[in-house]
Amino acid sequence: MNSNIYRPPTYEETTEPRTLPVGKAGWRTPGWWGVLALIGTEAAVFSYLIFSYFYLQSQTLQPWPPSGLPPLRYAAPSTAALLISIGTMWWAERGARLGSGGRLLSGLLITLLLGVCYVILQCFDWHDEPFLPRSGAYGSLFFAITSFHVLHAAIGVLVLAAMIWWSALRHITAERYTPITVTALYWYFVVAAWIAVFITLYLLPWITPH
Amino acid sequence: MALNPVYRTPLIARPTEELREKLESIWADPPGLYGWLATTDHKKIGHRYLTTAFVFMLVGGLEALGMRLQLAQPNEHLLPPNLYNQFFSMHGMTMIFLYALPILSGFSNYLWPLILGTRDMAFPRLNAFTYWVFLLAGIFLYIGFWNGKGTNVGWFNYVPLASRPYNPDWNVDIYSLGMVFLGISTTAGAVNFIATMFRTRAPGMSISRVPIMIWGTLVSNVGILFAVPAVSLDFMLLWCDRRFGTHFFDAAAGGRPLLWQHLFWIFGHPWVYAIVLPAMSIVSQALPVYCRRPLVAQPAVVLATILTMVLGFGVWVHHMFSTGLPVIAMGFFSAASFVIVIPSAVSVFAWVATIWTGRPVFTTAFKFFAAEVVLFVIGGVSGFMTAAVPLDWQLTDTYFVVAHLHYVLIGINVFPVIGGIYHWFPKMTGKMMSEKLGWWNFWLMFIGFNLGFFPMHISGLLGMPRRIYTYPAEIGWGTANLITTIGSFVFALGVLLFVINVIRSLLVGAKAPANPWDADTLEWSVTSPPPSYNFAVIPHVATIHPLWEGRLEGETLSILHEGPVLDHEHEMPGTTALDAEPDVILKQPSHSLVPLCMALLIAGMFVGLLLEMWWVAAGCMLAMIPALLWWFWPRVETGWAVRA
Repeated sequence: MNSNIYRPPTYEETTEPRTLPVGKAGWRTPGWWGVLALIGTEAAVFSYLIFSYFYLQSQTLQPWPPSGLPPLRYAAPSTAALLISIGTMWWAERGARLGSGGRLLSGLLITLLLGVCYVILQCFDWHDEPFLPRSGAYGSLFFAITSFHVLHAAIGVLVLAAMIWWSALRHITAERYTPITVTALYWYFVVAAWIAVFITLYLLPWITPH
Repeated sequence: MALNPVYRTPLIARPTEELREKLESIWADPPGLYGWLATTDHKKIGHRYLTTAFVFMLVGGLEALGMRLQLAQPNEHLLPPNLYNQFFSMHGMTMIFLYALPILSGFSNYLWPLILGTRDMAFPRLNAFTYWVFLLAGIFLYIGFWNGKGTNVGWFNYVPLASRPYNPDWNVDIYSLGMVFLGISTTAGAVNFIATMFRTRAPGMSISRVPIMIWGTLVSNVGILFAVPAVSLDFMLLWCDRRFGTHFFDAAAGGRPLLWQHLFWIFGHPWVYAIVLPAMSIVSQALPVYCRRPLVAQPAVVLATILTMVLGFGVWVHHMFSTGLPVIAMGFFSAASFVIVIPSAVSVFAWVATIWTGRPVFTTAFKFFAAEVVLFVIGGVSGFMTAAVPLDWQLTDTYFVVAHLHYVLIGINVFPVIGGIYHWFPKMTGKMMSEKLGWWNFWLMFIGFNLGFFPMHISGLLGMPRRIYTYPAEIGWGTANLITTIGSFVFALGVLLFVINVIRSLLVGAKAPANPWDADTLEWSVTSPPPSYNFAVIPHVATIHPLWEGRLEGETLSILHEGPVLDHEHEMPGTTALDAEPDVILKQPSHSLVPLCMALLIAGMFVGLLLEMWWVAAGCMLAMIPALLWWFWPRVETGWAVRA
């Protein structure tokens, strides 16, 4: 069971009883494929949102963004919070695999706090922007993209809270840590999607002539 | 606790009566209403998908007949313009979203685990959830139709006609929210099919031994995963424009109406392949059975299927040739649309060669599949014609396009579906369908279809625009339209005969043996209808045609009579993605009310959004948190080594 190197099974092997792990065994569960497919479809939504952004930018004769360069006062620290959370999530997931309840719980907790930080900072950022969703196409799209991402982060925070609950109840063991792996994959996706959003909405206007 | 060991060595044995009884007691649903609402049996869910989608098709068909009566002669007054607008919009929406894909999901739900040699889908509760969401979203999309609030600007719903200043009532809001709602079902279904394909195939069914029916649905669902987000987003943005005053599509405030079309067709064209590729794979799977030989060039057909889907993402602009796009863009998308002919032709030539070199048995199912090949060629050629930009400028928004899309969608979806029902009905119900009624059924549908839809090419070339509710007598479209109307009623009579045949066969049909057509795949190795647990012992697959090995290989290589006995709870093997080597014993969840609860909460949320009762929507969303905790709660029976 330990070797991943493929060799074709012989007839005897196919009828030979073999010992198999039972139930939720790491990435062997369907859930691993399920979350990958979910990430694929959600990534597509972000791609189409970013497509819409560039499309409207390409079609406009007005300055883009219309109200000047986007402020980085809150977006930069919120990006940092999400980047750090990759490490803490990884730390928690390794802890689950090694059966270390302390590493798992502390890692999840810090990831959750960083996620909450991001959501709060983003709310300040919205408050800071000189435009509203109704101000024009740019404002509509800016709020659509960022709020769609905050929604994903908020769902991630709720999932992390559930994982902390289950870990505290000792449902997560070295043999059955799948929910943590699945949560970690989702969380990495949330961070990756933010990097794409951050570059598109916040950084590109600073580095492109306008 | 020893309830749930971390490792186990499954017993390898032959099935016995005691084992079958034990498995039946594990896998059968509890009796009564609870069992009916809580079932996660993929076969029951498949039945429900097939039945519900077919009912939607009958409703959409009645709408079409209403339109045909209105258009039978010039200057008729059966349907006033406003109602006519709703009729063609609801007809398109119903057929494309509530019939064409869900009916294929019905086949796939029912057949996948049986063809793959396993006991259920990868996510049984998600499977039940997708059905309930589909049903509720279908009802949601119809809630306004009875009092004049059905969607009314065509199924592709162009702005600015669909935006609030021009369409202030609820018609488009219901359509917008309903489509986002339905998208949840479609996407969740796609996730389930993909995980099922890569995780639950019978041991030995390596990637090269996967039957072609699976490939068609898999490719379609991978496409859905990346296409449906575009349309869900599009409708969500439109709803925000309509209800919150955003400006995504509002040219006066920097938005662009063409953004709607881009997002819609980025979805729309892959969707065409999503609703025809599984149907084509039904033909590729079942047609060879009646030709008494394997499909010619099966690997080429699989690769062509994949290539079609990939190319399908790069042709969306051919729906927008008349919107004033740059010439270079049109040249690219026109060329891409021509290229797609090549993989499509691979399938056609493979089918023709299969019939040519086989010994065809002219059953009703064979006739439907052979008719599909003919209609695909006609619909394909008219599509090829409109891929040319100058011709498209002439033909766009005329009845020529209506003829083309119906040849494609009825030809490559409805005909394989009806043929597929004739093919798998014995497996699904344990009853044979009447071949005599089938003969009438087929010829009425085939003649009625061509009589109804071929003259539409002519009306289109004569310049008749689509979506007009009437036309003056002197313009000369009367004869073609009268023939179309007669043909559509002949076609409808054929569909009615099909319904009669289904009901009659259910009541008094001859009993079906396990393998009435002498077919090659695993679903035919179990009784008709299959037991709740599908396979008493898990089969081991050695070739792509497990039941034809004696004839093709000279000896039986697959092992169907002896295998792992997984009889503790809802168990089935998990296998590796490429080699299908068993690497885990999956503990599958069983009957549960949580999928239905989640679907109802989502429905409540969308009703709240529609009526702008924000507290209802927010309450439903909050209630989803405990519902999801209940859904995913770690339980012993789903494979958690914890105390109960």
